[in-house]
Amino acid sequence: MASLLWRDTSKNIVAISEKVPVNYAVDFDVPAGIEDGYITINRKNFSYHVVISGVRSYSPDVEAIAKKKNGLKSIITIEKIEKIEPISVMEFQSNGKTLDTVAGFEIGERQLTEIKEKYGESLSEDVQAVINDTKALGFSLPESVAEEIARHRSEWGEKAYKNILKRIGEEIDNELIDPYEAVGIIAAQSIGEPGTQMTMRTFHFAGVREMNVTLGLPRLIEIVDARRIPSTPSMTIYLKPEYETNDEVVMDVVKRLENTSISDVADIITDIGELTVTVKPDPRKTKDRLIEMEDIMNAINRIKGITVMEDSNQIIIKPQQESFKKLYLLQEQIKGLTIKGINGIKRAIARVEGKEHRWVIYTQGSNLKDVLEVDEVDPTRTYTNDIVEIANVLGIEAARNAILNEALRTLQEQGLNVDVRHLMLVADMMTFSGTVRAVGRTGISGRKSSVLARAAFEITTKHLLRAGIMGEVDKLAGVAENIIVGQPITLGTGAVDIIYKGYPKTKK
Amino acid sequence: MAKFNVLDHNLVPEHHIVSEEEEKEILKELNIDKEFLPKISPNDPAIKALEAVHGKIKEGTIIKIVRKSPTMGHSVYYRVVASEVFK
Repeated sequence: MASLLWRDTSKNIVAISEKVPVNYAVDFDVPAGIEDGYITINRKNFSYHVVISGVRSYSPDVEAIAKKKNGLKSIITIEKIEKIEPISVMEFQSNGKTLDTVAGFEIGERQLTEIKEKYGESLSEDVQAVINDTKALGFSLPESVAEEIARHRSEWGEKAYKNILKRIGEEIDNELIDPYEAVGIIAAQSIGEPGTQMTMRTFHFAGVREMNVTLGLPRLIEIVDARRIPSTPSMTIYLKPEYETNDEVVMDVVKRLENTSISDVADIITDIGELTVTVKPDPRKTKDRLIEMEDIMNAINRIKGITVMEDSNQIIIKPQQESFKKLYLLQEQIKGLTIKGINGIKRAIARVEGKEHRWVIYTQGSNLKDVLEVDEVDPTRTYTNDIVEIANVLGIEAARNAILNEALRTLQEQGLNVDVRHLMLVADMMTFSGTVRAVGRTGISGRKSSVLARAAFEITTKHLLRAGIMGEVDKLAGVAENIIVGQPITLGTGAVDIIYKGYPKTKK
Repeated sequence: MAKFNVLDHNLVPEHHIVSEEEEKEILKELNIDKEFLPKISPNDPAIKALEAVHGKIKEGTIIKIVRKSPTMGHSVYYRVVASEVFK
């Protein structure tokens, strides 16, 4: 449903609210059938919602509040006005385009984001039937297994099918972990032991210079440590299906992604005697990055308070105010000046993948938020290896999946098979608090509730001293603290108490 | 292009708001207090995306997350909206 959108002054809004219902004359042809509108004061957020009950063309006889004096075209009758939680103008579309700012009047439609129920959507009916049958027996199967069963169901016959499901159920029951088993220790060992066999090798993209990704043990440590910035941030960018096979669009996107600053393609020389900064583009570098002299000029022209002189192959820049401080500041500003591209993306390389000749862009450097906003990019598949960035842009659940995927991939690339369940436990623990926490002194282990357990791990004195000052209580619920005080630990049989109820007295 | 909804991303599982009646059942089934559930920040992008549809989400609301699991098809996980971090 379309709504009328406009910017107004707070004075007018007060006038409207006082006199509701009220006629309001506007200098815009309001089409019939408009039933509501949104008003913005600051051009960026709508903070008032109005209900419009009538639209008619303007005539001076009707008494109305007017926004302007001249050029009035329509009169709308405002039935109700209410203050609302600010809605960004970006949520509205006008003629199929997302709005940036609202100054005058506009007809727009709010694009409500809908939540898709993906659950079970992609499954075919027979696979869903298998899953329902397993649910009835009290267990769940991975989709891949359910699909396989569904495929063979007719050749097995119904009786065999039921039996197979029953056997699978029994088998799963046998393999279930026992209550009070120390799953953390098992996970630690299961990841740690194969970890000793990992190499310190760094993998290079064959034939592509300046492109390598940390792998193996250093990468695994990085994931588990939840570093703010990984040592080799990298993105995998997929394009929307309609652009994926179009070479020209792909090359264009690559060019727009790659961040190029002036210091990447030119030498910057500061002449203190003449008080000038000279930019000398290096022809080899500019050709390499497809930069024209014009692009550099455009970037430099954005700086204010300078005089620019263009020579045949160099640009001389002079600050209008002659001072060393200004010159120094100017030099620093020019060094960091972006000619084009997205901040943080140092290099982008497109590669053809698969038989269908689909392009995938790999980058060095990562900026998920900005890349997702590029029109040609498919935002649902685009991926970065920076886990903290994923947590910030896509949320904690996405970060959990990213930790799991990255850790699993790192291990599998080294030919090590670690059960996903161990990694799932690690990923769940790291994201338990709603933020990505490292494993170790600063993260999970450093925030245990027990003083003794923390003291036994690292920096003993700090924890004991602090506990003494704060008067902390240790409930001796964990493992380490119970070993310290010499008690049975609360694991396995140690975790259950047996209460003897005795037999009820029988009457003789 | 309309603003990208993070819930559409492949990495993000389904997020659902749990109603108060369901909440009681879930806590009873898990035999646990709400504060022991894993947390999700009220500023989490996924929560912000949910708020765009359902309006403001109060702290203490339970969010049901249906994950695609490599071991059991789909698994259900619960997080409680809380800004404080665990001790």
